[in-house]
Amino acid sequence: MSNLQPLVALTGSDSSDLRPGARLLSWIPLVSMSFLLLLGAFAAPKHIVQDFSEYHSYAELTASLKALAKANPTLARLQSTGKTLEGRDIWMMEIGNSAGTPVGDRPALLVAANFEGNQVATSEIALSTISYLLENYSTNDAVKKSLDNQVFYFFPRVNPDGAEKMFAPVQTGTATNTSAYDDDNDGRTDEDAPEDLNKDGYITVMRVPDPSGLYMVDPTDARLMKKADPKKGESGTYSIYWEGIDNDGDGFYNEDAVGGTDINRNFQHEYPYYQRGAGLHMTSERETRAVLDFVIERRNIAMVLVYGPNDNLISAPTTKGELAEAKGIDLFSFADASLADAGKVGMFSAPTQRFFGGGGRGGGGETAPSGGGGRRPATTVAKADLDYFTTVSKKYIELTGIKNAPALSTPQGAFFQYSYFQYGVPSFSTPGWGLTAAPADTSKAAAGSKGKGGSGSEEKPSLDKKLAGWMDETGVDGFVAWTAFTHPTLGAVEIGGFKPYEAVNPPMTVVSEMASKNGEFAVYLSSLFADVNIAKTEVINHGGGVFRIKAEVENAGFLPTSSSHGVTSRSVKPTMVQLGIAPEALLSGSAKTSFFQAMDGSGTRQKFEWLIKGKKGDEIELKVVAQKGGTDTKKLRLQ
Amino acid sequence: MKRFFTLFLAWTGLALFAALSAPLATAQKASDPQHTLRLDFNRWHDYGELQQDMKTMADTWPEFLTYSSLGKSYGGRDITMVTINNPKTGPELEKPAMYIEANVHGNEIQGSEVSLYTIWYLMENYGKIDMITRLVDERVFYIIPTVNPDGRQFFMEGTGGGSRTGHVPVDDDNDGLYDEDPPNDLNGNGIRDQIRKYVPGEGNYRLNRDDPRMLEPVPTGEKGDWILLGSEGIDDDGDGRVDEDGPGGYDPNRNWAADWQPNYIQGGSMDYPFQLPTARAINDFLTSHPNIAGVQSYHNSGGMILRGPGAEWQGTYPRQDIAVYDELGKQGERMLPYYDYIIIWSGLYTVHGGFIDWTNDGLGILSFSNELWNGGQYFNSPKLQDQQKDSDSPIAGQKGSLYFDDYLEFGSQYAEWTEFDHPTYGKVELGGWSKLRGRIPPRFMNEELSHRNMAFTLYQADQMPKMQIHKPVVEKVADNVYRVRIDIENDRVAPTITERAAENNVVDPDLLVVSGRNVEVISAGWVANKFRPDATDLIDQKDLNRIMIRNGHPGRTTRTIEYLIRGSGDVTIAYESLKGGDVKTTASLK
Repeated sequence: MSNLQPLVALTGSDSSDLRPGARLLSWIPLVSMSFLLLLGAFAAPKHIVQDFSEYHSYAELTASLKALAKANPTLARLQSTGKTLEGRDIWMMEIGNSAGTPVGDRPALLVAANFEGNQVATSEIALSTISYLLENYSTNDAVKKSLDNQVFYFFPRVNPDGAEKMFAPVQTGTATNTSAYDDDNDGRTDEDAPEDLNKDGYITVMRVPDPSGLYMVDPTDARLMKKADPKKGESGTYSIYWEGIDNDGDGFYNEDAVGGTDINRNFQHEYPYYQRGAGLHMTSERETRAVLDFVIERRNIAMVLVYGPNDNLISAPTTKGELAEAKGIDLFSFADASLADAGKVGMFSAPTQRFFGGGGRGGGGETAPSGGGGRRPATTVAKADLDYFTTVSKKYIELTGIKNAPALSTPQGAFFQYSYFQYGVPSFSTPGWGLTAAPADTSKAAAGSKGKGGSGSEEKPSLDKKLAGWMDETGVDGFVAWTAFTHPTLGAVEIGGFKPYEAVNPPMTVVSEMASKNGEFAVYLSSLFADVNIAKTEVINHGGGVFRIKAEVENAGFLPTSSSHGVTSRSVKPTMVQLGIAPEALLSGSAKTSFFQAMDGSGTRQKFEWLIKGKKGDEIELKVVAQKGGTDTKKLRLQ
Repeated sequence: MKRFFTLFLAWTGLALFAALSAPLATAQKASDPQHTLRLDFNRWHDYGELQQDMKTMADTWPEFLTYSSLGKSYGGRDITMVTINNPKTGPELEKPAMYIEANVHGNEIQGSEVSLYTIWYLMENYGKIDMITRLVDERVFYIIPTVNPDGRQFFMEGTGGGSRTGHVPVDDDNDGLYDEDPPNDLNGNGIRDQIRKYVPGEGNYRLNRDDPRMLEPVPTGEKGDWILLGSEGIDDDGDGRVDEDGPGGYDPNRNWAADWQPNYIQGGSMDYPFQLPTARAINDFLTSHPNIAGVQSYHNSGGMILRGPGAEWQGTYPRQDIAVYDELGKQGERMLPYYDYIIIWSGLYTVHGGFIDWTNDGLGILSFSNELWNGGQYFNSPKLQDQQKDSDSPIAGQKGSLYFDDYLEFGSQYAEWTEFDHPTYGKVELGGWSKLRGRIPPRFMNEELSHRNMAFTLYQADQMPKMQIHKPVVEKVADNVYRVRIDIENDRVAPTITERAAENNVVDPDLLVVSGRNVEVISAGWVANKFRPDATDLIDQKDLNRIMIRNGHPGRTTRTIEYLIRGSGDVTIAYESLKGGDVKTTASLK
């Protein structure tokens, strides 16, 4: 598979290429950098050298995490949740004061990052959030309250094998892990990886003069390429490929690189079956299962936050519960499109000589699908949950200063979608940083963001243009100028384009500037959890060993004890209220063990009442267990 | 003493016979047939006995059989397999293989006996029946009598209640405890009895006049003397509910990766596909054995030959795949009276994440699942079935069940109502059918069930693809340039790659590989009709020494490939197919 593209277009106009068969097309979820407007950041042109040496390699990340755990023994604990194919640990750092309520009984915020190997910045953001919590515990009341009463589970780097490619001599921009995978299904695995032909240390793209090509130089910026539109009298003059040679001589360039599976396309919700990069099947990867096994065991996880190339924070789900549309970098998706047919070579309807009967008869007994077929899984955020998503989105925008809607990928198989649609908790995703954008651009983008392909209206600036503009403005050296090269089979070509990591990872200064904002946001999220307690009890003696017990259970938190979809999906356990008596002692009233599905927050209460047989002086335990809202017990004395 | 003497005579006689005639078969020269190994197929094996019979067979026929384990169940039991392969006809992975499994639902036990019978029958008859000899020589068989050993053993040891699942603990009742309230056998009779209570004038059931063992609802407006209180059990965990959290609590046949759905859409699917250790072990085996071209997963009951898809929203199978399934399935209906060939979602019920959906869609294997045993087989003649329609007949409806038990199973499967002092319900009566009744055939009918189902599965195995490459026809067309035409044939019903497998790109393409010391392939193409001049459909692939045929070779089809080759000497042309076998031929360029 060509796992080079850091960003990908799943745009309206390209969506026709996304049918299941076209597996070689752009698939990596796009990043959201395009329209983000950071208040304050990059306000004036300044020259930033992107120095990735400040980014943590696996060894450095491991050392940092270990040092943090060592320096903060009561607050931070490091655990390996599994090993990757290449033997790296998938680290999980638990942050919470170990004194007080056992951490496993507290509601938790799971923060996970760097599912896509090329998104190393998200890992740095997670790390900076960990540091924020640890550094501010003793001085910041909100942080202290949160770490004393809640718990955080951090997966700073879910895909360390993929991320490690950033530190390799040749930068490929690999998003996937390194599981062997026959991307073009030709019976040979990982046999046609790209090569750094011009020896500049980057895998970029090749543009090749080709009268039957589909692409042309963008008239407004000669660095960029665009798809020629015959309806406007434009004709293509170039073909575009990933940089490299055709190692296996099949006519395709770099269609089967080492690896792999994109972990954020390998989860179970809206899984993109049999598509390139999605793995052999859902949850096929070690990294996927490490995360899943962890969250399934820790049902106290009440909310999920992913740092990654999907977004539902800058753009909250629509009133229909849908996510905003996707847009990616054209140059990468054009190169990807050159591989579209690699998985189709050899489909024959060859002439045959049949010798007896057989075949031919079709469809015996099979009725055509009528479009029904029982209950379908939800794919939009439930109405009753929408307000909570909107509230959190507003807060994120307020805290970070990011005002305009980013473009989004279609997050099929993404972890944050699994977390809401199957695990049943509120779940958010954000890149955690953004680009500045010219105001004119953003207003247009905002106006037409929902159209399918823009219905032929004036062209919106491509993400490529915004990205190039941002690089010009900030001095990020992220574009390799086109230079001539004599290719062994293609002849005269030019090699150039966006550098694979520079396109999706900001300078470290940006991560640092965002650290306290992301930290505050994580603390804010943890302050929203349901908080269930036994608010009031009363014991009435009716004489003759008959007692009446009354209790009120309250949710003092902001969120309900379960999201609405958590109830629908039966993935959040109902809150249990249990009276510690022998079943035969119960005379009337509530059941010994009662459950309620979901109770709103902000002080909402539920009443329970039991008539029981007992002896004066008996002590009875009343217990309430809310999977996402903590546990409370009260001892009641019969008198 | 007399007995010993007789034995002595017999043995001496045998020795004498042995001395005079070779080879010696067995003592009973006139028995028919003379079996090498006697096993029983008219009883139900527990897990240990299944293992013992598999081992015994592996020891008896070591040149063909291998006994191995694919992994362990949650309960620590091995998922054991017998591989049948004749190494003299080629390595295992180079021959198309038939995968046969059973008992994924712990209570659906008889498929295990069918599996044992299949191994035994193939081995007993190898070298005796030509068709069997050929099958064993051409094919490989992977046979796993039980893929849910924990569920099976729980069924065999217990009353049968709650045995469908495997035994990975699940908190069915959301109380934070796992599997803490299983079914109970209160009266120790080995049966999960029904509970009835005598409540004169206050009930909704009455006893049947002809046979007081039978309860019937009272007509509207009348009062009965009996109520039913569910199945035998107690509230083990004191939460006020009975038997609400037994072992496991999921469906091991919903944990597969095609159309897998979360629990609220598909109950019992677990948290993600292959979360169950048994499913994972089996999938690891399947994915590492791409020579598997046929799957049969035995279930019970109802008398069905099932194929996917499991859910309507998956749409229909591609046309050519349907044609192949139809041909095999309809053949099955003739071999298996009382069985219907049907599609899971339309004929049975909707299944998401089922095993044979995964093997068909995700692994590209033609897959069936037989639901063994149909209740019509109790009275299996047109005459008796006519009688059953007359409600006065002693074999009509519920009466028929009791009749069959009274006269053919001698009352062994029905427990009469007996008084019992229940801890919660007080004085009640317990009674009902044994776990063996209903979904499982009477023991004496199982050998027929085993044989007929095996025969269908062997038919499927025989119709898996089998590639043949015929003698090349070489013609010199210019200096050093030769036209080489070769017929490539698959004379079986199934294609080497199903249409669905090609759509999903889940099976490696078939390959046509040319090799020779001094040859250059100028062109290659498919010949439309080799008997008259016609166009050759040129193959537009970059590397003509290694032509990919992504959608494989259809069933019952011969294709003619034409090469233009420059060179001299010998050229070898090989057709390599994961599911159709590897074949090759050599042409001399002269």
